[in-house]
Amino acid sequence: MPQITDSFRYWMLIVPALAIMIIFYIFPVLGIWQISVTEPEAGFGNYVRMVESSAVRTSFLITFRVAAITTVGCLILGYIVAYTISNYASRLTPLMLALVLLPFWVSVLIRSFSWIVLLGRSGLVNDTLRDAGIIDTPIRLMHNELGVLIAMIHVMLPFAILPMLANLRGISGSYVQAARGLGASEWTAFWHVYFPQTLPGVMSAALLVFVLSLGFFITPALLGGGRVLMISEYITYQIQEFLAWGLGSALSVALLIATALVLLIAARFVNLRSVLLDRK
Amino acid sequence: MTDTTDIEAKQDIVEIAVERYKQGRLTRRGFVAALGALGVLPMLGNKAMAQPKEIIVVNWGGQAKDVLQEVLCDTYTELTGIPVIVDGSGPSAGKIRAMVESGAVVWDLCDSGAGSAIILEQQGITQPINYDIVDRSKVLEGTAYNNGVGNYVYSYVLATNPTMLGGNVPTTWEDVWNVKDFPGMRTFRKSVRGMLESATMAQGVPLAEVYDALGTEDGIKSAIDKFRQIRENIIVWGSGSESQNLFLQEEVAIGNIWSTRAHLLKDQMPEGSFQVSFNGGVIAPGIWVVPKENPAGADEVMKFIAHGQKPELQVKWLEMIGSGPINPEAADMVPPELAPFNPSSPENLATQILYNDEWYAKNQTSAEELYVNALIN
Repeated sequence: MPQITDSFRYWMLIVPALAIMIIFYIFPVLGIWQISVTEPEAGFGNYVRMVESSAVRTSFLITFRVAAITTVGCLILGYIVAYTISNYASRLTPLMLALVLLPFWVSVLIRSFSWIVLLGRSGLVNDTLRDAGIIDTPIRLMHNELGVLIAMIHVMLPFAILPMLANLRGISGSYVQAARGLGASEWTAFWHVYFPQTLPGVMSAALLVFVLSLGFFITPALLGGGRVLMISEYITYQIQEFLAWGLGSALSVALLIATALVLLIAARFVNLRSVLLDRK
Repeated sequence: MTDTTDIEAKQDIVEIAVERYKQGRLTRRGFVAALGALGVLPMLGNKAMAQPKEIIVVNWGGQAKDVLQEVLCDTYTELTGIPVIVDGSGPSAGKIRAMVESGAVVWDLCDSGAGSAIILEQQGITQPINYDIVDRSKVLEGTAYNNGVGNYVYSYVLATNPTMLGGNVPTTWEDVWNVKDFPGMRTFRKSVRGMLESATMAQGVPLAEVYDALGTEDGIKSAIDKFRQIRENIIVWGSGSESQNLFLQEEVAIGNIWSTRAHLLKDQMPEGSFQVSFNGGVIAPGIWVVPKENPAGADEVMKFIAHGQKPELQVKWLEMIGSGPINPEAADMVPPELAPFNPSSPENLATQILYNDEWYAKNQTSAEELYVNALIN
């Protein structure tokens, strides 16, 4: 019986995953790249059209702005939740975890529609405020960027909490205790001892939320009132309404490159390997 | 109430598949597989099972499917004994073409639009209408084509909620653009179709000259510019049901929506909180087309179309779902309380224009780009 070498065993494990990636992901993506330079005619016409179109520029701007604000919002809210769950262990921990996970498993479509019910002119929020005498006329909470952001932060929150939670739970409490023992104030102990240790979790949460937000589609389409046009909706529009496969593909290539750029820039500031791969 | 979004998406995918197939990017086998995956193929496969003397009429589904079955089809079966079945899977031009080109025609009669009817005729996909059987005088002027004939009309109309507006209701498109005297949110369609006309009228262009004005680049630009001006007050609707919801949830007080949706809304909104004005509306006819080599034969279908021209049936159609009669004779038979909601009543016809498909064939794509830009930029 021939000897199975370590490297052979290694590749045996890798190859199926690699093959699936190539067949179902890399290959179709290359197909998209090809369409973007061959339709409706060969050349870079689609890219020229894309760069010249101010609608496309604005759409990219909106996409990145919404993704950035969503990320910041998710990090702040998510950090508080993750910190509470991991540092105040009690009987409530399973319940709190369930409250994070349950919405995570509910369809994005349903969650977005729920926000429509809540945020509408005669929605729960406005009705409550009006009944309480705080406002006279309904506030515009949706069909604008505010509505999109509220719903997107809600949808993305579990994606921020879960990686941070994994990180926070691995941090030993003894460092903070030691700092406190040496006379550090509660804030100093948190900011200089605890917080730096959580940075890998924060970074991976930020990347996850930001990159997922870039490709978001349903929530902005439902709550944006047509004026928060994210690039993925624009792509659907081109392909479904106008059969403009070339321009649609060019836009998706641009989105892919932009996402890659974000990762590259992030890599300059943080060690992606430790953020994404290593877990304590 | 029906949501047409999914159907539309499906139609679009089928159309894309057809497009790909035509360009040779999809093999015949791949094409058939794609249609199968979309659930379209079972219908194509029904051919073998279809009875020879049976008419399959195809429309866009939802409530309209049941109404069509009840009002036109069942009455025809009563008269002639020939079964007529409605298939609500949506006869997009792409699907009709795919069916005829693949040689597996199962549909006898399709509810299409003027633009598609013209294109399908040019491509040789449809059969001529036999005007010895179908009466040309029983359709609105301008809706009788060689290979297609009008079956109902709907329009893009000005809908308002007087309660939300405090009784101060806009009556013209100029008013709609006047956000000072008529504050509040408006809704317009996500696409330029039916919308640029209103923006043009809002600039004081008379009805008859709207498409002339839009015929120039400046005309299009200034219409688009009108939307830019009131952008902060616009929520767009994608599907008909969406426009209906915007009114039901009181998100908007003013809107440019389909008259068929307005017809549903008048029964759903509280008394006095919904009004429709056909002043400056844009009429779009539904057009019957008959695919080539339809299984029931051309004559049989022509007789069915002629049956559908009866004014009393068309009035019933209006009562049930809001599609206006295409037969001018029907207007007198419409109950007085429904007349204001009838897009083809003589009073309402006088204040509307007919949707110009040729203009859209030429200008729509470039106009859409400008429209999106005006709304977001």
